[in-house]
Amino acid sequence: MNIVVNGTAHAIESGPLTPLLDVLREELEITGPKAGCHQGGCGACTVLVDGEPRRSCLLPVAYADGAEITTVEGLGTPESLAPIQQAFVHHYAAQCGFCTSGMLLAAQAYLDGGGTDDPEAIQEALGGHVCRCTGYAKIVDAVAAAARGESFDLTQTAVGKYTTVTTGGAT
Amino acid sequence: MATASLAGTAATEVLRPTSEAEAVEAFGDGDGVLVVGGGTIVVPDLTYRRLRPAKALLLKDAGLSGIENEGGRVTIGAATPLAALVDLPAPIGPCAANIGDREIRGVATVGGNLCAGEGYEAPRGDLQGPFLAVGATVRSAGAGGIEEEPLESFLERRRSRLALSISFQTPAAGAFAALDRPHTHDYTALAVSGARGADGTIRLAATGVGWWGVRLPSAEAAADDPEAAGRAALEDVDPQDDALASAWYRRKVLPVLVRTVLTELEGVA
Amino acid sequence: MKVVGARIPRYDGVAHVTGRTTYVDDVRVPGMLWAKALRSPHHHAAITKLDTRPAAELPGVHAVITWEDVPLLEYGHLSALGIPADEPLLAKDDVRYKGQPIALVAAESEELAAEAVERIEIEFEERPALLDVRQAFDPEAPKIHQWGNWYPHFEGGMDRRQIRKGDVAKAFEQADVIVQGVYRPAAIEHAPLETQVCLVVPEPNGRLTIYSCTQALYFSLGVVAAHLQVPLNKLKIVGGTTGGGFGGKVDTATETMTSLLAMKAGRPVKWRWTREEEFLCSSTRAPWHMEIADAVTKDGWILGRKMLTLHDSGAYARFSPYGLTKHSFHHTGAYTIPNLEFDGYVVFTNRVPTTAMRGFGVTSVSFAVETHMSRIADVLDLDPYEIRLRNANRIGDTSPNGIVYTDPSTVPTIQAIAEATGHELSAEFRTMTNEPRTGEWLPEHLVAQLGNPEEH
Repeated sequence: MNIVVNGTAHAIESGPLTPLLDVLREELEITGPKAGCHQGGCGACTVLVDGEPRRSCLLPVAYADGAEITTVEGLGTPESLAPIQQAFVHHYAAQCGFCTSGMLLAAQAYLDGGGTDDPEAIQEALGGHVCRCTGYAKIVDAVAAAARGESFDLTQTAVGKYTTVTTGGAT
Repeated sequence: MATASLAGTAATEVLRPTSEAEAVEAFGDGDGVLVVGGGTIVVPDLTYRRLRPAKALLLKDAGLSGIENEGGRVTIGAATPLAALVDLPAPIGPCAANIGDREIRGVATVGGNLCAGEGYEAPRGDLQGPFLAVGATVRSAGAGGIEEEPLESFLERRRSRLALSISFQTPAAGAFAALDRPHTHDYTALAVSGARGADGTIRLAATGVGWWGVRLPSAEAAADDPEAAGRAALEDVDPQDDALASAWYRRKVLPVLVRTVLTELEGVA
Repeated sequence: MKVVGARIPRYDGVAHVTGRTTYVDDVRVPGMLWAKALRSPHHHAAITKLDTRPAAELPGVHAVITWEDVPLLEYGHLSALGIPADEPLLAKDDVRYKGQPIALVAAESEELAAEAVERIEIEFEERPALLDVRQAFDPEAPKIHQWGNWYPHFEGGMDRRQIRKGDVAKAFEQADVIVQGVYRPAAIEHAPLETQVCLVVPEPNGRLTIYSCTQALYFSLGVVAAHLQVPLNKLKIVGGTTGGGFGGKVDTATETMTSLLAMKAGRPVKWRWTREEEFLCSSTRAPWHMEIADAVTKDGWILGRKMLTLHDSGAYARFSPYGLTKHSFHHTGAYTIPNLEFDGYVVFTNRVPTTAMRGFGVTSVSFAVETHMSRIADVLDLDPYEIRLRNANRIGDTSPNGIVYTDPSTVPTIQAIAEATGHELSAEFRTMTNEPRTGEWLPEHLVAQLGNPEEH
């Protein structure tokens, strides 16, 4: 079996029933997708499989054979954040951060499908994702901002000693 | 490779048929075979070592996916994802749209939903209700070869059968009513489906009142009077307590959902 | 004010949104083994046989530990404060809650470790379980703890947290109405998205490096060192990145056992709980049982309160005596009641041990007190805002444990809530302040409780 993850091709040694999540995290050591429940209930493991959001803990890797996978690592780098990543930083939509990668990929799929800033539509799109820090309002705000095409100069939002924090080339 | 996978599948023989004929042959009489449709129900069971099958049959590439409509007779392949059903007429479309979230509906299959049954914290086979209401038939393989039968009898023996497709005549009118789910990833505690055939016959079915979807014959007999039908529905069911709701609560709400469905059916010409 | 009101970037924000934050389960080291636990399937049982040899003999298994491998088997979470220990790190003679760890295996894979756990030979003799705090005091109740069914080691050897203030008997004689209520909030699982996890790496210099998701790094350091009977400088804990905790990662749930496995195997060992273990075996917020009886005048003054609290500690004490103490200090909420009789018990049951969660001990009593205030208003047909303002803490009032309030915020808070919700207050309540009591705000029954804020 072969999968392409964030543009890089990998031959897979794990058995065909192994959940894609375990292949990513354990065999390929791509640790952005998180194992929050390992049974489809939390959404922390969501990745894009050929552009579609999928719970990687529920997907036997055989079902991803030949597919292109996008994890949070492929969304954007610290030096070049994707708009949805910028929006999450700007709106403080990540608290402990454990749900964030799954949220981001579900949100990216929503935006890729032409999603608007309608809060109800965003809640429906992210409805299977749990944030136990309960930062939902900020997450919905961030997705809505990205849907409106807003961009953020993250270097200009700080004052005082915290200005030393570098947010890279985000504009 | 030092795999850390939790999956208890190292000893499982994995079969990946690429046609219906190969799937039927690989399934055989079904003994010791775990059928994996989309995997949303069985993969956690493998992960948590509750299932350790001798053989696993992966249906994704077996050509069992797709929807055909010939003059109102609709046939759905067993490996069709639920996402493909959401635009079908009521009660099927609204029910499919009410299952899981976008990510679950994108991979969970019709066959898996029809075969989901006892042994979990709550019933899971939501589509059994609407398919009972439209009088669907199931084509399946197993000992004795390929056979087609009403969904009711398929459910009785579904553990020994490989579902291939499900068919039904598009009803003249349909309606679906369910208890709201608190979260997208919750299962539905109780739902009622109704359909009126071309001859005016009304069929009603419920899910969430037992491990399987059931017809509501007493309610159907009283269908002219939604209030009476709601009360009559209680004679057709023996609800259970589970993780989602108590039997008491289900008995309180079932008449309301029956009434809602019948009232909606009345409003559709 | 450089920070208040300013937009400050989170120092970990960019790492979170790019998947670069390294949680414990993301840490990879060569030669790592995986741990799995044998846990009690019973609420309460004697262990009559335990043989781990079949697990140890399985190829790929590198260490098995039981209670015999623990240098100091019992070390209480509050031992450092002089509260005696009651909980063995691994069950020895009996198990007292479903999910209690009995033995652990370290093996080449998680699957192999799970297989090895299944090979451990163990037999139990089930005992009756106590699951309801209200039954703990019955003479016929199962005896489930070496100290009895409730914690007996408060100061002076008392078996309860007790508060006495003023003259409660007199208050109840003077009351127009006695308003009673029983409040029973249920257990809550913290359910952080990251389950309990740690990784322990034995270093060539003899130290252990412990990667932990703990919320309480230095606390864990002390607990691990005590159980292992090693000096603190033999342990290096790497923490600070926690995928949610909410109080559930204050208990040292994994670090000590994983350290023992790593020492015995001489290899790095990772132990990560499944979501099912997290729900079934990890500590929860306690269920509480609270009974309140208030002596009240018909115009809404609360003259006195009697309160009984049963704090469900689960199978062992852990932090519960501390939680109950905080609870007792707050049992009048944001209000001043001069005559008090409070008795609180830390009750043992065969549930998972309970622990901190967001306002340890206080959320339960706040729920009870606020519900009770509204109940009093209902009984007397008074405005629920005004009864709160009437009894609100004022400068110079004293708390149940004798603290003099110097800047209580009850009055402006209730007034702000009334304004925000559009609730009309009468003039006397709209204009009142938290200034020291005088005139009609200082009825006779409140005079004796006053303290002098200048002394604080």
